[in-house]
Amino acid sequence: MAGERAAFGALVRSHQRLVYSLGLRMLADRHAAEDLAQEVFLQLYRNLAAVSSEAHLAFWLRKVTVHRAIDRLRREPRNELAPLEEAQLTAGEAHSGDPILERRLRSLLGLLPPAARAVVLLRYQEDLDPADIARTLGMPVNTVKSHLKRSLAELRERMTSTAGAPT
Amino acid sequence: MSDDTHDPESHELERRLRAALRPVNPREGFAAGVLARVAAEPARRPRAPAVASWLAFGLAASGVLGGLLAHEWQVRRIEQGREARRQLIEALRVTDEKLNLAYRVVNSRESAAPPEHAGA
Repeated sequence: MAGERAAFGALVRSHQRLVYSLGLRMLADRHAAEDLAQEVFLQLYRNLAAVSSEAHLAFWLRKVTVHRAIDRLRREPRNELAPLEEAQLTAGEAHSGDPILERRLRSLLGLLPPAARAVVLLRYQEDLDPADIARTLGMPVNTVKSHLKRSLAELRERMTSTAGAPT
Repeated sequence: MSDDTHDPESHELERRLRAALRPVNPREGFAAGVLARVAAEPARRPRAPAVASWLAFGLAASGVLGGLLAHEWQVRRIEQGREARRQLIEALRVTDEKLNLAYRVVNSRESAAPPEHAGA
């Protein structure tokens, strides 16, 4: 039992970044994201026998995390991030680009409906192709593509309209 | 990514999105928190692997099938016993009839025959 838990601890450490990041970007709240991530790993612990490979594990974690996050957002809808909260979320991150622009993009992402947000995250954070996103979210590939197209257009439009606004 | 958004502006937005959505680590001690919740879980029964489940299902199915076959065999045996008894009773009935007939023939012959030493 102790050995099993130690092995599970190693598994958590190797995948915590994936689960926590998805939860954080979906919920835009560190505490909620951490709580969500813990629940996902607890569910994994109860269902370890159902996971057959490393690839399946990553697929399973993404799927469960995103679905749980969407459920939470439907129960407790959130508004756009407050600037202070967003600043806290990104504290300590290494920036290679424009931190203000990146922060603005993350805030705008929070305005997308949950399903569209999940599609954008799986595409640009997890680097999945539309077919894998469709499998993860259980939606048709064409729906994934239209979500991406609409979301990019909306983000671009908002970025343009707020380009001159102070952030 | 998208089929019809391969203009430079879209490429730039996609590049920015990738940069903005870099995965981040949770706070220190996150894994320990998960393990604490795992430790608080009631001891879970190890789940039987799929092969064992199928084996158990196979054994149960064999048991049911075996029971049905044994029942069928028993019913057939009882039927065979009944048939054998019916045939025996029929044979006895036929034998009895034949014996009766023979008895009547013998009796009638005896009564029709002239008495021995009659007129002697």
